[in-house]
Amino acid sequence: MSEQWSDEELLARLGAALNAVDSVPRDFVEAAKTAFAWRNIDAELAEFAELAYDSEFGGENALALTRAADSASLRALTFVSRELTIEIEVTEDTLIGQLVPPQPGRIHLRAESGAVCETTIDEVGFFAIGAKPAERFRLHCRTATGIAVSTGWITL
Amino acid sequence: MPTDLAVSALVTRANMGDQGAWNDLVERYASMVWSICRQYRLDRRDTDDVAQQVWMAAVEHLGELRDPGKLGAWLAITAKRECSRLLRSRHRGETAEDPLGFDMTADERTGPIEEEVETAERNAVLHAAFMTLQPRCRRMLALLLDELPYQEISARLGIPIGSVGPTRARCLAKLRSDPALAALMESETEPSRGERHV
Repeated sequence: MSEQWSDEELLARLGAALNAVDSVPRDFVEAAKTAFAWRNIDAELAEFAELAYDSEFGGENALALTRAADSASLRALTFVSRELTIEIEVTEDTLIGQLVPPQPGRIHLRAESGAVCETTIDEVGFFAIGAKPAERFRLHCRTATGIAVSTGWITL
Repeated sequence: MPTDLAVSALVTRANMGDQGAWNDLVERYASMVWSICRQYRLDRRDTDDVAQQVWMAAVEHLGELRDPGKLGAWLAITAKRECSRLLRSRHRGETAEDPLGFDMTADERTGPIEEEVETAERNAVLHAAFMTLQPRCRRMLALLLDELPYQEISARLGIPIGSVGPTRARCLAKLRSDPALAALMESETEPSRGERHV
């Protein structure tokens, strides 16, 4: 059998290993674990939320009449699925959204290039994504109760 | 190699939807991704962005890896690529000059992928072995790593100074007996891995 590490070597390597682990913030590790929730997001039977309202093409339905008036400068979009409605508003550099009925969960933005961005939906169904994608993207939402909803492609 | 097999098994389980297996993979490689971002001198925000891309991509491609045991290498390559991309796009935003030269310095900042991955695997195995030790042994080894004198260690652990040496030896022996660590030590000390006869 070949020689193993000496006690000193073993201790030194153990020290390096423990240091490497300790130097990583726990929230960094925990965030990585949540990525797993998005496994098979496209393949699985996420309910498709249809675009029901877009301020850019406002006036096409009843909802638009009330909306277009008070937020003329904002782009507002509403996606409706059987169980959930996702309303989003686009400000200069942020995308803010609201789930109806309000409930917590996670929201995941996937741009066409594959770039992704994920954030928490708070207890009252509100979320904010601090990046306004320049390319086409889709939203995937998963609520705490397990409802999964995906939107179609969105171009801002 | 046993390490590859362990990783490969975790990837297979994660592919079947096992969150626990995924968590183990994350625990194993998070510090590697972190350290790669450090080498590119990214701040915390950028580090989080890169890591998110890397883990999301991993989740997405988990089922398509040609060699699941090499997930570590795949993660390291992906992390480096994302770091370079981020720096490049940032750099392009600030000054339009010499992106090529910048690229080269970015790559020189990090060691070879194999080294990165090897260190991560070794750290993971050592850490896991350490965690299986009795709390008393863990404490003893931690004190030794802090380079405290035996006198101090004896006082802190409440054992006679004459027992410090033997306890140290016992704890290290226990650590060595961890199967994954034993396998790793053997593979790392073996002069020519290729010529192994099972």
